[in-house]
Amino acid sequence: MFGLNKILPSNSNYSFMEFRKMFISISIIAMFISLILLLFKGLNLGIDFKGGTLIEISTNNSNISELRSILSPEFNDVSMQEFGDSKTIIIRLQNDSSNESIKTIDKVKNLISDKVNEFRRSEFVGPTISSELLWIGLQAIGFALIAILIYIWLRFEWQFGFGAVVALTHDVIFTLGFLSLFGVDFSLSSIAAILTIAGYSINDSVVIFDRIRENLRKYKKLDLPDLFNLSINHTLSRTVITSLTTLIALISLYIFGGEVIKPFAIAMIIGVIIGTYSSIFIAVPTLLIFKFRPQEEDNKLI
Amino acid sequence: MKNYPLWKSLLVILIISLGVIFTIPSFIYKEDSGNWFLDNKINLGLDLQGGSYLLLEVQTEILFKEELDNISDSIRLIARELEINLADIKMETDEIFIRFTTTKNLEKLREKFLQNYRNVNAVIKEQTLKIIINDLFKKSIQESAIKQSLEIVRKRIDESGTKEPLIQRSGKKRILLQLPGIKDPERIKELLGKTAKLTFHMVDDDDSASLTANRASFGKLIVADFYDSNIKYLVDKKARVGGENLIDAKASFDPQQGNAVSFRFDTTGAQKFGKATSENVGKRFAVILDGVVITAPVINSPITGGSGIITGNFSSQEATDLAVLLRAGALPAPLKIIEERSVGPGLGADSIAAGKIAAIIGMIGVCIFMILIYGTFGIIANISLIANLFIIISLLGTIGATLTLPGIAGIVLTIGMAVDANVLIFERIKEELSKNNKVLVSVKNGFEKAISTILDANVTTLIASLILFVFGSGPIKGFSITLSLGILASMFTAIIFTNFLIYFWFSVSKKKEINL
Repeated sequence: MFGLNKILPSNSNYSFMEFRKMFISISIIAMFISLILLLFKGLNLGIDFKGGTLIEISTNNSNISELRSILSPEFNDVSMQEFGDSKTIIIRLQNDSSNESIKTIDKVKNLISDKVNEFRRSEFVGPTISSELLWIGLQAIGFALIAILIYIWLRFEWQFGFGAVVALTHDVIFTLGFLSLFGVDFSLSSIAAILTIAGYSINDSVVIFDRIRENLRKYKKLDLPDLFNLSINHTLSRTVITSLTTLIALISLYIFGGEVIKPFAIAMIIGVIIGTYSSIFIAVPTLLIFKFRPQEEDNKLI
Repeated sequence: MKNYPLWKSLLVILIISLGVIFTIPSFIYKEDSGNWFLDNKINLGLDLQGGSYLLLEVQTEILFKEELDNISDSIRLIARELEINLADIKMETDEIFIRFTTTKNLEKLREKFLQNYRNVNAVIKEQTLKIIINDLFKKSIQESAIKQSLEIVRKRIDESGTKEPLIQRSGKKRILLQLPGIKDPERIKELLGKTAKLTFHMVDDDDSASLTANRASFGKLIVADFYDSNIKYLVDKKARVGGENLIDAKASFDPQQGNAVSFRFDTTGAQKFGKATSENVGKRFAVILDGVVITAPVINSPITGGSGIITGNFSSQEATDLAVLLRAGALPAPLKIIEERSVGPGLGADSIAAGKIAAIIGMIGVCIFMILIYGTFGIIANISLIANLFIIISLLGTIGATLTLPGIAGIVLTIGMAVDANVLIFERIKEELSKNNKVLVSVKNGFEKAISTILDANVTTLIASLILFVFGSGPIKGFSITLSLGILASMFTAIIFTNFLIYFWFSVSKKKEINL
């Protein structure tokens, strides 16, 4: 109707597999950098996982430096940050040994009440809870990976499961590396983002694998790299269109969804981009390590 | 529609209509109306409507210590009876070491002690008697403490006038509270932070030596004054009457003493209090609340009516809160707040507004994109997408799920991902068309071939989402609910509703070909 579909790669015939070594190298380097970042810089853990107190206020007649001068003498570790605009400020306090949310939050409220227009939110996470939440988060990620792996294993040959999990691990590590690099607040919703990215990444790989499986049956004579290329090209417009619609929604969420949701949205945006990339350039080439057609591969080797 | 069975058309139309109709309650959102239909509205989570989430932990260790205190008192009494001298006493969290100056008669002491205490282990090692509270006993102490605490917390919250609170046990010794719409979480925390153990003790004004030495003799206690911790009182350890005998407490005003709390005892309490006051006219009694003396008036005449007032330098809010606490009763052990999340109504409203805008703009963006890519079929996919949204909202409303901020994010994400199923189908149709198949054959084949891929692809996201539901707490559960519903609904709308719409379009437009 509008003819725009012609711009997108329908009946495309790109040679993805030809460049696989280059992309795999890039990915290995990116993974390495991500791991280094995670190891040495770490994630910017929010109070969900670190414990502490967070108070969000809006003010008409004050600013960070004034609030800091009021609160710093009273508390050991106060950090402040503008949240979206200069009138909204987030105050973070660390748990001290005799932590009692009621006292900390009360004390802050009393000290700055005349500067504050509205106390928008206050959160306190005690040390037992923060370590529990971290543990539960890690468990959730672990279980999700296992469950997804089992599903792929049941529905496909195990080689596909391996490829999907390599791509998935790649996506999760890269996204975490990105969050670490830019110091994005890592909270419970980040765990939700990571799991959703895992689901999305697998989803993308599955669609291509599905086609590979179909084509393996259909084109019995075709070389594996060519067959993989063909399958990627068959599904390419779907891969691109779905990624774009998902990104449109996520970018809208990032821009208009409010400050609280931004860390989630940015993690998802990165995850979707990287998940799309990896399903083509990582998941599929990984399958080449396996011999789907033993006799043919053997012939070639000779 | 000659290629589409009538019963199927009707069923699809019925489901979609229900989906639309059941979003009405959520759109005209009203507080509980009592109407079976209108009550199918979406519940807003605390992060959207404002309110407080509190997680409390019952400090049961203190109860073990109390138990050990009782044990040590009972040992002292028996030791005195048997004329054994104590050297020292050492207390741990759940065990106690009592060293004597001799080994003589210790076995006898042990036997005698165990006649009264069955749930402890007592071991003699040389001159030391070691007593351990066993696990079963600990568990039963803990169990009854949490049950009692739940009840008291419920009473206190009810008394404070909070509407629709959710109070439930969480794990072994935690209590979870959700208090929607409260404006002053600090006051609630204040109410929950007090044990409110009220007891009446006789004051010993004769033994000033013990007070100066700051060492209470056996059966006595030194307690500080609430307002001035330098003032100390020597009181009988045993309370004459306690808060458990109160049947009513109200904030009142005394012209001379200011704000006060008036109270009334039950019959037992009144008798005990009457007896204590008639035996001790001219002496003082101390009103002790959570380990400090609030007031210690002189008994001028026996108080036998069973009622009285407690005065102190209360503000009127303090008097009201104390009355609430006394009415609700004392907690068996202190509660510690280990997690709190309070959201003011302003932020909640802002979040809803922002979420709506993000959803609408995301929706418009995706719709425009789909039309640009697929033309007419794009419009059909968009109608399906809108139907999908209606179904999500109506399902959220009818199953009584809670919509949270991450839940809104889940809906926006669904808007982007839900078209995937349609994209998969359309791409397949396109391929079939390129094989020079007839249009309707292509459509039919396209749907059939895409279905297994759609299922495989969606199940993985569904797995991740379900795991989030199992492991996630409140707001994150909200995300997994909307995402799961969105995925399930998208499978229905893409596979069945889109299919229906395509046949409908062909039968109306009478077209024989399509441009995909």
